[in-house]
Amino acid sequence: MANIFPRWTNILPLKIAICLGSMALCVVAGFSYYGTPKTQRVGYMPDQPIPYDHELHVKELGLDCRYCHSFVDQSGHANIPSANTCWNCHQHVAKGSEKLAPLRAALGLDKDHAPIEGAKRTPIQWVRVHKTPDYAFFDHSAHVNRGVSCVSCHGQVNEMPVVYHAESLSMEFCLDCHRAPEKHLRPLEEVYNLEYNPKEYLAQHHAALGVEDYDSNWSEKKAQLELGHLLKEKWSVTPRTSCATCHH
Amino acid sequence: MSKRKWFHPDVPAEELTSSFRSVGELEDTAELRAWAGREFPSALETMSDEDDRESTRRDFMKVMGASAALAGFGLAACRRPEAHIVPFSKAPEWVIPGKALYYASSMPSAGGAVPLMVTTYEGRPTLVAPNKLHPEVDGTDAMVAASPLNLYDPARSRYFLAKGEKVERAKALKILAELTGKKTAIVFGEDVSPTRDRLVKDLDLAGAYQYEALAGAGQKAALAEVFQKGAALTHNYSKAKRILSVDADFLETDKQGPVKGFYKGRSLADKNGDESHAVEKAAKMNRLYVAEPAYSLTGGLADHRAPLAPSQVGVFLSAVAAELGLPSYSNTLTGDQAAWVKACVKDLKAHDGLLVLGSRYSKDLHLLALSINKELGALGKSLHIQDTKSPYGTIEDLAAALKAGEVETVIFATPANPVHENPVIDGTPLCDILEKVSVVHLGERTDATAHCADLHIPAAHYLESWSDTCSTRGRYSVVQPMIMPLYGGVSEVEFLLALQGDVADLYNSLEDAKMVSPAYEAVRMTFEKFAGKKYSQGLLKQLLREGFWNGKKYKSITETAKLSTPSLELQKAPTKGAYDLVFATDASIQDGRYINNAWLQEAPDPITKLTWDNCVQVSPQTAKDLGLYEEIVELEKEEKAWWATLGIDTDSKYKTSAVSEDKEGPSLAAPMLRVNCGSRSIELPVVIGFGQADNTLVVSLGYGQGYDEHWGDDFKGGLPTGYEGKSIKVCDVSSVSVNRGFDVYPLRDGEDYFASGVSAEKVDGLRYKIARTQEHHSMYGRALAREISAQPIDKYGHDVDFAHQLKKVQKHGMDSHAPENNTLYKQQDIKGKSHLSDKIHQWAMAIDLSSCTGCNACLVACQAENNIPVVGKTQVAMGREMHWIRMDRYFAEAPEKKSGDPKPEKKHDSDSLWAKPLEMIPQPVACVQCESAPCETVCPVNATVHTEDGLNSMAYNRCIGTRYCANNCPYKARRFNFFDYNKRNPVIHKNLYKGPFGEKQVGEAPHLQRNPNVTVRMRGVMEKCTYCVQRLKAAKIDAKKNVKDKVLAAGTSSVNVSADEKTLRISTGAVSVACQDACPSEAITFGNLLDPKDKIRTVKSRNNELVNKRGYDLLNYIGTLPRTSYLARVKNPNKAMPGGEKVGQATIHMH
Repeated sequence: MANIFPRWTNILPLKIAICLGSMALCVVAGFSYYGTPKTQRVGYMPDQPIPYDHELHVKELGLDCRYCHSFVDQSGHANIPSANTCWNCHQHVAKGSEKLAPLRAALGLDKDHAPIEGAKRTPIQWVRVHKTPDYAFFDHSAHVNRGVSCVSCHGQVNEMPVVYHAESLSMEFCLDCHRAPEKHLRPLEEVYNLEYNPKEYLAQHHAALGVEDYDSNWSEKKAQLELGHLLKEKWSVTPRTSCATCHH
Repeated sequence: MSKRKWFHPDVPAEELTSSFRSVGELEDTAELRAWAGREFPSALETMSDEDDRESTRRDFMKVMGASAALAGFGLAACRRPEAHIVPFSKAPEWVIPGKALYYASSMPSAGGAVPLMVTTYEGRPTLVAPNKLHPEVDGTDAMVAASPLNLYDPARSRYFLAKGEKVERAKALKILAELTGKKTAIVFGEDVSPTRDRLVKDLDLAGAYQYEALAGAGQKAALAEVFQKGAALTHNYSKAKRILSVDADFLETDKQGPVKGFYKGRSLADKNGDESHAVEKAAKMNRLYVAEPAYSLTGGLADHRAPLAPSQVGVFLSAVAAELGLPSYSNTLTGDQAAWVKACVKDLKAHDGLLVLGSRYSKDLHLLALSINKELGALGKSLHIQDTKSPYGTIEDLAAALKAGEVETVIFATPANPVHENPVIDGTPLCDILEKVSVVHLGERTDATAHCADLHIPAAHYLESWSDTCSTRGRYSVVQPMIMPLYGGVSEVEFLLALQGDVADLYNSLEDAKMVSPAYEAVRMTFEKFAGKKYSQGLLKQLLREGFWNGKKYKSITETAKLSTPSLELQKAPTKGAYDLVFATDASIQDGRYINNAWLQEAPDPITKLTWDNCVQVSPQTAKDLGLYEEIVELEKEEKAWWATLGIDTDSKYKTSAVSEDKEGPSLAAPMLRVNCGSRSIELPVVIGFGQADNTLVVSLGYGQGYDEHWGDDFKGGLPTGYEGKSIKVCDVSSVSVNRGFDVYPLRDGEDYFASGVSAEKVDGLRYKIARTQEHHSMYGRALAREISAQPIDKYGHDVDFAHQLKKVQKHGMDSHAPENNTLYKQQDIKGKSHLSDKIHQWAMAIDLSSCTGCNACLVACQAENNIPVVGKTQVAMGREMHWIRMDRYFAEAPEKKSGDPKPEKKHDSDSLWAKPLEMIPQPVACVQCESAPCETVCPVNATVHTEDGLNSMAYNRCIGTRYCANNCPYKARRFNFFDYNKRNPVIHKNLYKGPFGEKQVGEAPHLQRNPNVTVRMRGVMEKCTYCVQRLKAAKIDAKKNVKDKVLAAGTSSVNVSADEKTLRISTGAVSVACQDACPSEAITFGNLLDPKDKIRTVKSRNNELVNKRGYDLLNYIGTLPRTSYLARVKNPNKAMPGGEKVGQATIHMH
């Protein structure tokens, strides 16, 4: 009986297997890179109805985070300020600015700050940058009251003219810190200090803190870890990693 | 490998009490056992054997393969859509986004008010809990707990209607002005409102009346005759040592004063919950006697309970009076009944007795009851008459005024539905009288009255209105609005204010939203007058903060000169063919007003376990007489083989299925009974009521308010008589209430409580599908619910006293001889660290069966707190109800046989129950949070794992829906979302089966009720109780702020401050769970085992070991180490009573 299949077909199954295998590998590799929050979310920088400049307000003018996000240490939700909070300053500053038109609309005022008769007072629709999924419950107050700074999750907001998504905020990101909180803990007074540097802090306070083997050549990371460990012990910080900590 | 099965050990010889949940279990049929033993019975219904199951598993893999291949097509758009955050333009005071805000308010109810603490999130009320500050607080009942859902009911009235047609506001107000220009009378609800009283006085009215269908007209009439108009009765149960209740469900549906004192009188605990003096306390326990037609929840808690036909209440009371020595009465009872009354009265006389009579019995019976109480010395001691100064007339007065032509317009501002209820007054139905006059209706629902009225005005819900009310003893309580009226409803006070001034100025909440409702000023003025000289701005603020003012109570009336003993015309006892028919208050929808409330409709009736319908209850003996019993009990349907139809006759029979569809079992279809009352008749499905008086039919009112074309689908073998196309009316109901049950009001005369001489017969060939949860999620095992007696009991010829019984509680059932369970699953991880590593909090719960009545308040409160969906009647019938805490209800017959005797034939007649007690024990079961949880070890994706503080948690987002966990749960505490109940409206006919084409309910008002701190679960996810983990977490986070406070107090740098366990521990009592809050009898204790001051420590030690002798663990012998423990029920029987020596041994074993 003649050979129906030529000789080269002998390795065809192998070729097909390798081909399919590598395709599958590419899909998996591609998905695990492009499908994760690290790629999908980091760098998300939407336009806001009012181009609010955090760098200007925080770094240059020195506003505290809590002036606007006033309930961050009381509630799970770090609130976006209501229009009347903005108006506290902006009734005097940048009067009539084109950029503040949505704010005036929210308060029912015209360009010269005169009330408009029968105005509808549409609230400002800020675009959400950071969002945890509906089934994950993150509580801001639980973190800032235990020495985790805004910077740890939101990045150097004081250097952001436009706010963007700085960290991945994936479940792994949360767990990293819950497993080793010392990487992020800082004294409660320094939580809202976005320019805090653990190295400089230790240089000033190491004696009072009783850090015996303090060395001024410690790197910033080393200083953070030393101080973090100390605070973790002192305040009994034991973050949980069981599911119900965030999912209920 | 074949499946390994756990075989429960045989029934030991010494076990004498027989326990059952249903007729099938009473008669013990193997088929019912097989059916009930399955986890989700109906899913397996079609699978006959193991092979069958195997093949479906294979089918499943095939389908999964196909869907995995298709999944790739769905990945087109991965980007998250843009979301917005919309802050307030002007932030209101107190509102913190993400935090709950609590207000004190009250819910007006007939004769009193329920003091409440309302939880609101960003202005949305989501949950009501009792206001624990109020001195008269009794917890909430299921109806109060479910009331927030009524607020968000999308079917609520939102338009003005004239003769059922929608009209514009301007036109409606014109009609109103015209109608109220004539001689006008108003009918209010039976609740109390000082502002209403004040405003009505200033109105030029032809009359003001009060009417609710089931609010105790007989009692009121008696009190008005003896004392004065507006006299009300209230009991102080803490002063009564012996209570005889004659058909008064005074703990639930027929409240006659706060009941806290009653539970206190039964408690074995000291003030702090400690039960080390239980033996002394047990000797002082109060005792409850109940005689009633059918089981009520109060009857379930009674020490002695006997079935009494309603027509025999007069005979019974005469006998009581005769025993007490009241002249002109005689004891005509015989046998056990006479002995029962004799012993009972002797006990009442000897120890501060009190008689409580059902408020709806006739005036004469109430006069006699008052005389008996006077004789017992209860009047003025445990029974108080108080002057409510209520100036309102009754519905009879209204009818008289209407007939006399004194009234031209009637305004119905009552929560009742007078047109549907249509009481017959002096032989004329109310509707006929109303034909001659104009009717205005102010109501929340577009019910029958709304559609018949010349003008219907949408009313505001009590959570939307400013008003006030008085608690039972007359404490002023405020009703505060939590939210602007969602649908532009008008509150009663706003309506009265408009009548006072110009009708055109009626407050329009939709347009005048910025203006404070004028009702606020009216209520404030009332309070100012009420408080008199004590009024100040500060007192007003206190009133708004605390919800009540403790300054004044009703004055009591002590003058009893006019009290006389009536001459009673004794009625004949009901017989076969001349039955007594009881019109009962429904435990779910009361008089019908809650018919649109899906939570209440789905909450199983505490006694019959029926959902979504009403039925007629008959005793087992009456069922036999009617030829129904065998039909209900018969579980296996054998039919002739199909070839018999071809004329080939063989002896072999063909089983259609293991469990017939028609009988007690999966899709239960109840036989129908035709009830004839005079010339009127109605056909209803039958349910057997245990412990019910023979020849008595019990039906609850309020159902059957409207039907559509799908109604016939629930019937098998035809349709009930009188059902034709023309009888369908849908206009009065919503999708929740359409096709629900049967309307019994047409059988009722006036405000009667019962009818006698009623005939009934079985309707052949007709059946109605009912959804009962009786056998759903049923547990098997020994000593599930345990009971002991405060009196010595006889065991093997020896008297065993209370102290010894107490010692033996933990040895009931298997627990005395089962070896200690050596589990394979260790409590430590590889490093030897305990899984329960939290050093600050370890949670545990205890449920006291001694005070649990089984009222469903916990079940509904849990539903509100945890976003639990309703599933609809069809799904309930399949055993798919989602309640996280279910209410098991067992009956237990006292031991009759002696050990070793053959099984005696069962007696079914109710007369035998006077001497042979039948007991009912309810048992709430939720997840017990096992330390060694069987569910956790079988989850393939670790979606259910233990937390460090001892919770068995559920990560919904991880669950893939294998249901292995539910299969492995011995307590059957897990619930599975078979459909997306939250997204697809489950109450619309067959909507769940339409998939994406079904009607969605996202965005409808009920979604505003959701608790934002709990995930709304989707299809294919398992869920269960997690001890309100969201509340625990919130409390823990609050405790974390203590560190910051400490820093601020120390005034130094935070690095100098240390925080130990004490700082981070939630302070004692600062956290509670929803079921615990709702419980009217404080039967649920919850707390932190590691807090030495916590009340839970009186039950369990810090290592989860029982310290209270009454405590026991459910299914202890399987070694799950549950965190929820139960406390055995204690009964306090009177040995002199017939059968008294048998009470208090109703420990439940299900085999």
